[in-house]
Amino acid sequence: MASFAGARDRASSTRYKRLGRRRVYGHLGTALALGCATVAAAALLAILGYVVYQGIGAINWAFLTQLPHPVGVSGGGVGNGILGSLIIIGTATLMAIPIGLLTGIYLALFGRGAIAETLRFFSDVLSGVPSIAIGLFAYTVLVAPLKHFSAFSASFAFMMLMLPLLVRTSEQAIRSVPQSVREGALALGMSNARATLRIVLPTAMPAIVTALLLAIARVTGETAPLLFTAFGSQFWETNPSNPMAELSLQVFTYAISPYPSWQAQAWGGALLLIVAVFALSAGARFMLSRAMRGLEA
Amino acid sequence: MTSSWMRRLAALGMVAALSAPAAAATQLTGAGSSFDYPFFSKAFYIYSQKNPDVTVNYQSIGSGGGIQQFTAKNVDFGATDVPMNAEELSRAGQPVLQIPVTLGGAAVAYNLPGVTTMIRLTRQVIADIYLGKILKWNDPAIARLNKGVNLPDMAIVVVHRSDGSGTSYMFTDFLSHVSPEWKSKVGVGKSVSWPAPSSVGAKGNEGVAGQVRSTPGAIGYVELAYVVENKMPAAIIENKAGKWVSCAEDTVAASAATKPEVSATNFSIVDAAGADSYPIASYSWVVIYKKPADAARAKMLYGVLSWLVGPQGQSNAKSVDYVPLPKNVQAAALGTLKQMQH
Repeated sequence: MASFAGARDRASSTRYKRLGRRRVYGHLGTALALGCATVAAAALLAILGYVVYQGIGAINWAFLTQLPHPVGVSGGGVGNGILGSLIIIGTATLMAIPIGLLTGIYLALFGRGAIAETLRFFSDVLSGVPSIAIGLFAYTVLVAPLKHFSAFSASFAFMMLMLPLLVRTSEQAIRSVPQSVREGALALGMSNARATLRIVLPTAMPAIVTALLLAIARVTGETAPLLFTAFGSQFWETNPSNPMAELSLQVFTYAISPYPSWQAQAWGGALLLIVAVFALSAGARFMLSRAMRGLEA
Repeated sequence: MTSSWMRRLAALGMVAALSAPAAAATQLTGAGSSFDYPFFSKAFYIYSQKNPDVTVNYQSIGSGGGIQQFTAKNVDFGATDVPMNAEELSRAGQPVLQIPVTLGGAAVAYNLPGVTTMIRLTRQVIADIYLGKILKWNDPAIARLNKGVNLPDMAIVVVHRSDGSGTSYMFTDFLSHVSPEWKSKVGVGKSVSWPAPSSVGAKGNEGVAGQVRSTPGAIGYVELAYVVENKMPAAIIENKAGKWVSCAEDTVAASAATKPEVSATNFSIVDAAGADSYPIASYSWVVIYKKPADAARAKMLYGVLSWLVGPQGQSNAKSVDYVPLPKNVQAAALGTLKQMQH
């Protein structure tokens, strides 16, 4: 007992000291968090700054609009790669939207039981599969049987990369539409399908578009799945069944080349990619803030 | 909201598609040797300017990859610095024609900060460096050959190809000719197990050149064009005749001249005799099917390749530091090509 009382005495006598110690720990924690945040931000800023510094000199009208020149012929650009990126990612997006959105709607509105749980599980697993494995899969099902490399096989691989993000985020977006909104629509005599299409989906749309933009940003920087699929090209190519140039693939090829002119163009291409991803992310933020305001209103 | 967004995307795609010039009619695809890439890149560019209805899309993925994609029939032709062997030919499942298309040398490039004179290496010293027996640049074996050069006390970083490579085949073929130890320990191949302790792998001739350029103390074997384009220093090598030669068009041509009859089964020209022969040289080959599935593409492929091995195509070799095929090899290449159904 005596020792118990002694402990209590000590506790009361050291209360102020302990409070001081807590304050010190508190400040230390804040400082540590701030320091780590600074390191993270500094790394990002350093990368951005270095890419801008190295890449800005390569960017001019010819770089954006011309075809690559062969080794040893100066000048040239990555115009076909920019066009190829637009076609490949555009096609992938057009394929991913209906599949991803409808799966998301299914999971959000009807998704109970074993099938839905299996779908969610596979979607989560798919989001963790390395992109190079997805590229190999696209090679196996679309390039090897058809006997030629094609932009479409690259779009297919990109679609596979976009799907899990779209499925899970659109599910969350639709779920986050308040049940009362849906009930209100039904109470006014709307059919279930009509309420989903006219009321629930539009309310969830900004969040879904945000997810879509992020999914596009995710594949914009991908190179690995393109090695076995899009293959690359030196020409203006618009036919999706042919090999096609793609910006990040060109950056990869140019960056490992020994030619200083190509390396400069690789930096220019990297800058374009970063600007594209930055614009998509900023767009996503903008859409998300609108979504939040929409929900609050 | 989605529909307006999609409309905008579609419009953007359409504008991009319309602003691009009309796509060329037919595109032939080829893949393989990075050794050939600068030459092909230039030659096919010239060919397309003269023949706008045909374009050739060649991607430099290494000889091994080229044979693989050719065997899988994903490309119209493959390119490799070492002809396909019997096993690879049987895997192709169909008669294959192998046509020599160019001739080149592999320079031994290095990165020695502060050393401005070209260093000299014997064949044996190169083998010992790649065997890992010489580890420092100021090793007496190197210093003895380079009197008056202030060689740094720096570790040698041996750079080799990480992908299946015809240039690796050429280089290991050379090492096996000059070093019995290399022949028994490592041997010849498109990819081998590199014994030196400080070995670094890089993808393609591009990769090796880049790695050597960025690593002080590095040494690596790189196709001549890559070295010339980048003004990289490359070693002067003592050949079989005991003469000091550097990798250049005339010394590579001299090596080729020692073997007038070259075929897909008897092709090695490394460590050639002759006072002017550069010891690390090789022909490079295009592989095609004797009876391609698509007759129209076969016709175009024949047109491109007969131009490439003929005097007009070969005239592009010098401008990108390759050696034109000797006249008799041009004739033999055309003879083989004519067996193709077109």
